Amino acid sequence: MQLIFKIAWRNILRHKGKSLIIGLILFLGSLLMTVGNGVISGMDHGLEQNVVNGFLGDVVIISEKQKTDNILLDFTGTLIEPITNYPQIKKLLQAERFVSRFLPAGKNMSLALSDDYNATPGFAYLLGVDFAEYQAMFPDSLKALEGRLFKPGERGILVPKKARDEFYNFTNRWLIPEGCSLVEANLSKDAKENLKTIIKADNIVLLGMNENNSSTDLRFGIKGVIAYRTLNTIFGHFSITDIESYRECLGYFSSSAHAIQVAKEDQKLLDLDTTNLDSLFGTESLMVSNPQAKPTPAPAAIAAAKAPADVDIEAGVYNMIFVKLKKGTSYNYAVSQLNKIFTANQAKVRAVTWKKASGFIGSMTTIIKGSLLAFVSLLFLVAIIIIVNTLTMAALERTPELGMMRAIGAQKQFVRLMFLSETAILSLVFGGAGFLLGAIIVNLIPMLNITSANDMVQLLYGGDIFHPLLKWTDIVVTLLELSLVTLIAAIYPIRVAGGIKPLDAIARD
Amino acid sequence: MKKTAKNIIEISGLTKDYPLGNTTVNALRGIDLNVQEGAFTSIIGPSGSGKTTLLNIIGCIDTATRGSVKVAGHEITGLNDKQITDLRLHTIGFIFQTFNLIPVLDVLENIEFPLLLMKKHSGAEIRQRAEKLADLVGLGEHVKHRPAELSGGQRQRVAIARALVTSPSLVLADEPTANLDSVTGGQILEVMRQMNRLEKTTFIFSTHDANVLKYAIGVTKLKDGVITAN
Repeated sequence: MQLIFKIAWRNILRHKGKSLIIGLILFLGSLLMTVGNGVISGMDHGLEQNVVNGFLGDVVIISEKQKTDNILLDFTGTLIEPITNYPQIKKLLQAERFVSRFLPAGKNMSLALSDDYNATPGFAYLLGVDFAEYQAMFPDSLKALEGRLFKPGERGILVPKKARDEFYNFTNRWLIPEGCSLVEANLSKDAKENLKTIIKADNIVLLGMNENNSSTDLRFGIKGVIAYRTLNTIFGHFSITDIESYRECLGYFSSSAHAIQVAKEDQKLLDLDTTNLDSLFGTESLMVSNPQAKPTPAPAAIAAAKAPADVDIEAGVYNMIFVKLKKGTSYNYAVSQLNKIFTANQAKVRAVTWKKASGFIGSMTTIIKGSLLAFVSLLFLVAIIIIVNTLTMAALERTPELGMMRAIGAQKQFVRLMFLSETAILSLVFGGAGFLLGAIIVNLIPMLNITSANDMVQLLYGGDIFHPLLKWTDIVVTLLELSLVTLIAAIYPIRVAGGIKPLDAIARD
Repeated sequence: MKKTAKNIIEISGLTKDYPLGNTTVNALRGIDLNVQEGAFTSIIGPSGSGKTTLLNIIGCIDTATRGSVKVAGHEITGLNDKQITDLRLHTIGFIFQTFNLIPVLDVLENIEFPLLLMKKHSGAEIRQRAEKLADLVGLGEHVKHRPAELSGGQRQRVAIARALVTSPSLVLADEPTANLDSVTGGQILEVMRQMNRLEKTTFIFSTHDANVLKYAIGVTKLKDGVITAN
């Protein structure tokens, strides 16, 4: 082998031009593959970290009636089905050893209404949670830019900066938290242009959207304007409210409805509240969304009322349950186990991974990875064609030399190995250099602390900071691809070289 | 009692036909030839007489159409590629008209090459043997030179040393002096003759140069694929 490598190496040096062409192609392919994989892995890892730890958890439990698994951002406006048996599911989750913690939540769309009848109603995603539980589940996932976060048991809404900008565009109202003044630095571009005429509001009326129009318009006091730790592009759509207000807004059966029995005559009085647009039509006009939905009492009164301490908040309706798994538990295992348990216990829910639950965001990395693979495969295909052509020409040019080797006793295998070695050395040297440079680039980029406020770029980064990451699987894949290219590119020239007979060398002379 | 030399080559009824378009060229027509061990014999004849074809078949580089060819006791017509290659490596040495050295190896490495293929000897043994032969062919001072840095005569000396390094029973040389001037050609033949004497190696070389003939001990004349004198 030493002899083969010696001849192969010297031949590479002898035919510098050809070696350089082949090497350069391998170098570029390897570099592109390494950096590309690093970027995608970083994006994958960033998205996973940010979505799992900041919003959805590892696994999401949704109603079995839910048509699609994508429950994070569905731009078709598909509503999320209610889950009415949370206490049963809670018991099942508590019994599972691989479950670290979980959080039930309401999540659906609402219509943002305005006092200005000329304004277009806007849309808002609502996330209804027990805020203390939310913070325990997703610690440090958000911060207040203006105002403050919820106090224990408090009702109201936390509006993300992104959602506030959108509300302004629809309702012409600039939302500021209760008791706070306008912060000019936080104004959107449009709001800045209309600074003199800007209308401030410390509350917003939201009308929950459900299929049966049984929802209620509800005035939410704004407690804070928030920013999520990362990926505000995605999460910034979601305003957080307490679960009870959420249920009322969506026309769901709330735990407070159990607890507060409002007399019919009082109900009429409450209905006079002008903040409730539905009240103009009387209580009879309130519709029932589903068997669990009940007519909701006047929201202003409910908002003001404090639920009794013994109210079981968990008895009400949710839309999903976010589940965090213990370290080392695979998503597929957890989902499969949970679904078995849910089926066995007729829990009428199903578990999906965060990737499926987050729709296009979860599959984005797979799509980009596929695209990169297709691009690199095309590059490698071109590389293979060039390498095959160059090596075959080299084999034919070297017929006298190779034929002579065979004449003086070199077996076909020797000649084949010599050619394979030449290609392998080129792959190793140039492909290896491409890989090393790629690895250095991937490891250097995070040190530059590149950030972006651009929505699409943030998605590509998998977070606010561009943090490519080279996983060992990427390294293996890159090396395998290089080896495969080497082998495929060498097969035909090797056959040509191995087929050269001593007589060919003499005939050439 | 006088010891009788064995035949290293035994050829009988050797025919070689080449298809050429719609016709067939009869390069060799029923050759019968025996060559004794230790011979220093020349095959002569005009161009197209079949000299190279005969050498190629003896050297297992080409195959016979019909007939029997025994080299060092091996009937070569029935051997597969691997066996033939092994026979060439262990039994036959080649000296080509155009030197055919490995361009990326220096003089010493070129000489060592067949020994390395044999995988029988230690590195030190190989190096020692190669150096000895390089000295013997007068290239002791040029062992680190690559073929491109040598003259034609020097390259042919390397080829001779390489052909002899495995101590083959038979060395075949196809017009070894064809591309050399007469002085250099003479020197090459002297070296070959010297090797024949020292190593008892059988040499068969083809030529159509009458000046070369004076070095030969035996001569086989070929004309139109037939032996006319032996």
